[in-house]
Amino acid sequence: MRFTTRLLTTAVIASAFAAPAMAEGTLDKIKSSGVIVLGHRDASIPFSYLANDPTKPIGYSHDLQLKVVEAVKKQLKMPNLQVRYNLVTSQTRIPLVQNGTVDLECGSTTNNLERQKQVAFSVGIFEIGTRLLTAKTSGIKDFPDLKGKNVVTTAGTTSERLLKAMNAEKQMGMNIISAKDHGESFLMLESGRAVAFMMDDALLYGEMAKAKNPGNWVVTGKPQSFEIYGCMMRKEDPAFKKVVDDALKATFKSGEVNKIYSKWFMAPVPPKGLNLNFPMSDEFKSLVAKPTDKSAEEM
Amino acid sequence: MNYNWDWNIFFKSTGIGSEIYLDWFVSGLGWTIAVALVAWIIALLLGSVLGVMRTLPGKALPAIATGYVELFRNVPLLVQLFMWYFVVPDYLPEPLQTWFKQDLNPATSAYVSVVVCLALFTAARVCEQVRTGIQALPKGQSAAALAVGFSIGQTYRHVLLPQAFRIIIPPLTSEFLNIFKNSSVASLIGLMELLAQTKQTAEFSANIFEAFTLATVIYFVLNMSLMALMNLVEKKVRIPGMMGGAK
Amino acid sequence: MIRFNNVHKWFKDLHVLNGIDLQVAQGEVVVVCGPSGSGKSTMIRTVNQLESINEGEIWVDGKNVADPKTDLNALRAEVGFVFQHFNLYPHLSVLDNITLSPIKVKGMDKAAADKQAVALLERVGLAHKKDAFPAQLSGGQQQRVAIARGLAMEPRVMLFDEPTSALDPEMIGEVLKVMKDLAESGMTMMVVTHEMGFAREVADRVVFIDHGKIVEQAPPEEFFKNPQHERAQQFLRQLLTPMS
Ligand SMILES: Nc1ncnc2c1ncn2[C@@H]1O[C@H](COP(=O)(O)OP(=O)(O)OP(=O)(O)O)[C@@H](O)[C@H]1O
Ligand SMILES: [Mg+2]
Repeated sequence: MRFTTRLLTTAVIASAFAAPAMAEGTLDKIKSSGVIVLGHRDASIPFSYLANDPTKPIGYSHDLQLKVVEAVKKQLKMPNLQVRYNLVTSQTRIPLVQNGTVDLECGSTTNNLERQKQVAFSVGIFEIGTRLLTAKTSGIKDFPDLKGKNVVTTAGTTSERLLKAMNAEKQMGMNIISAKDHGESFLMLESGRAVAFMMDDALLYGEMAKAKNPGNWVVTGKPQSFEIYGCMMRKEDPAFKKVVDDALKATFKSGEVNKIYSKWFMAPVPPKGLNLNFPMSDEFKSLVAKPTDKSAEEM
Repeated sequence: MNYNWDWNIFFKSTGIGSEIYLDWFVSGLGWTIAVALVAWIIALLLGSVLGVMRTLPGKALPAIATGYVELFRNVPLLVQLFMWYFVVPDYLPEPLQTWFKQDLNPATSAYVSVVVCLALFTAARVCEQVRTGIQALPKGQSAAALAVGFSIGQTYRHVLLPQAFRIIIPPLTSEFLNIFKNSSVASLIGLMELLAQTKQTAEFSANIFEAFTLATVIYFVLNMSLMALMNLVEKKVRIPGMMGGAK
Repeated sequence: MIRFNNVHKWFKDLHVLNGIDLQVAQGEVVVVCGPSGSGKSTMIRTVNQLESINEGEIWVDGKNVADPKTDLNALRAEVGFVFQHFNLYPHLSVLDNITLSPIKVKGMDKAAADKQAVALLERVGLAHKKDAFPAQLSGGQQQRVAIARGLAMEPRVMLFDEPTSALDPEMIGEVLKVMKDLAESGMTMMVVTHEMGFAREVADRVVFIDHGKIVEQAPPEEFFKNPQHERAQQFLRQLLTPMS
């Protein structure tokens, strides 16, 4: 209740005061303030998260975000441009971008049509498939095996929507548990409350790497959807969007993206030195070859 | 702010079956009420028993009740919820454990956990209110009741509790409202009550402000109705001749 | 009817009752007086065990009240008690105040209890107030209801602890009148009071207590005319001197 009231107040205040700031483009704003504000997550491993330094995020998406910062510095001829970090959550990320608090958010945000009504997306920076994590001994190979079973997914994700829609359409009689975050979803799986955990494959690999016995678990099933992650910025700001997109495209084209990918998905990452062992998918490879700012549903 | 307002969002399809977003809010409100009301009834009964125990003569019973209150008041609600949902079921005997964790519908097992959690947590708070109410009564009341031959039980039942409850209606009202607010912890173990449905709507539709605005309005109206209900109760049991009822 | 045998009681270090010996015969009216803090209330409350005792025995109607085997609830039902501060149940009407214990303790049916209550209210002159609530009555009226409440259990003994000392002077008379009628009906009564007029007129015996000890007991004429003990003389002098 208190939380919702606060959110509402934020909404009212934001709509009253933030509007004038939008009259100018993001580049002008950065230029006049000398600061670019980057939105980041606290636990989207290995995309954008806090590990050893609580003031500075790390991760795959964050490395790409820094590429954009370099490009902005060059474009504005401001080598001493300051970077300020602003932590966002799945609930605050969109409003904070809209009201001008955050200039660029790179994390694990899926580009979809609903969100495109509120914000603009960069070209895709990652592509995932929604799949299943299950015990090797569970006998579950694919989605049809889930009939009548307890299945967990994380609340508010596309997987939740897909799973619920699948359940309704195909009358599979699944009991769907919506856990509050990925860690809790995995706990539901581990404690036997659910036989499978549906989520973005990259995140499933992350959870698996954290498990007591990673060898007991397997990612399986035909992807039910592909989703493209993008960086978020304010709508109707073509100048800034061009700088962002060009910087990302250049990173893709030069092949530098492969190095960054390997660093985060094929090698041990902080804080625990886990290796996700998640090779680049064919879908993502073609996205790198042909960058786009469309959502997966539009393609 | 270039936010894209869309108040029609509640009447739009969620993309799941034929549901619209408003259906989610209705079902969320239903769970919120089902959790809060059942937990409240248990909390009121258990809290009254504990509150009476704290005022009884002797050592053992008051000590047990005091221990209960200290334990349940000082452990954060969220920790208690996770205990009831993740830890306690693991200590059930085997067939029961599998039944609770796997055979039972997950919404039902989450519901049971959250009701138990909120009931026991709130009982500790009700206990303190009931104890204060009883102790606020003049000593002569229990003496007068005992003097006509009432047992301790009858003294509480007919003389002390009817007065104590009248005194504590205002603080009990706020505990009653609190249990509705606290019921939102259920969203953390996957029970789709009002807050969970609100967050889900916000995520799925990206119409965050509309979703939280509607939730705020619903919580507000709920709060006001409960307060009106309790005012009615207070008026109904007001003792004639006493200024402002039992104050 | 009531017999104290060498009764002692301590509140922690305070020796409140210091060897009380006293007998009250059936139908007798005994007035207890003494300085403030001398232990009068404590003594009268031990009769129905609202206060426990540490040593000695108290017999009421042939039962030893300090014996753990004695059914205290049954005993208390036979001993009416009237408090200084009335202690009516504020949440119940006058009628319900009176009928509650006959119904709940004795199992009397509601109609019979109501009938009895109305009769008792007539006796104390308050039949017209049966539906009022305690907070709507004056102190004197409340105390009369309290007496009716005590009588509703048809007790064999009535105990009074300063029944008029919380009342405005103009209300004292109405309560004393009810008590006098009760005494005349043959009730065994033990009354802690400083109303010496009442003692003189109604009591069979006056008991003077000081520092937890009975230092003098005598029929009222004797006690008032010729007190033996120095403390009693002093007490009476103070009582008869108009208050400044
Ligand atoms: N529950 C108690 N705990 C401790 N001390 C008490 C308690 N009740 C009474 N006393 C003390 O015992 C003594 C006797 O008290 P009691 O009430 O019997 O006196 P009293 O003769 O009735 O006096 P008064 O005329 O003022 O009513 C007093 O000193 C009083 O302070
Ligand atoms: Mg006294």
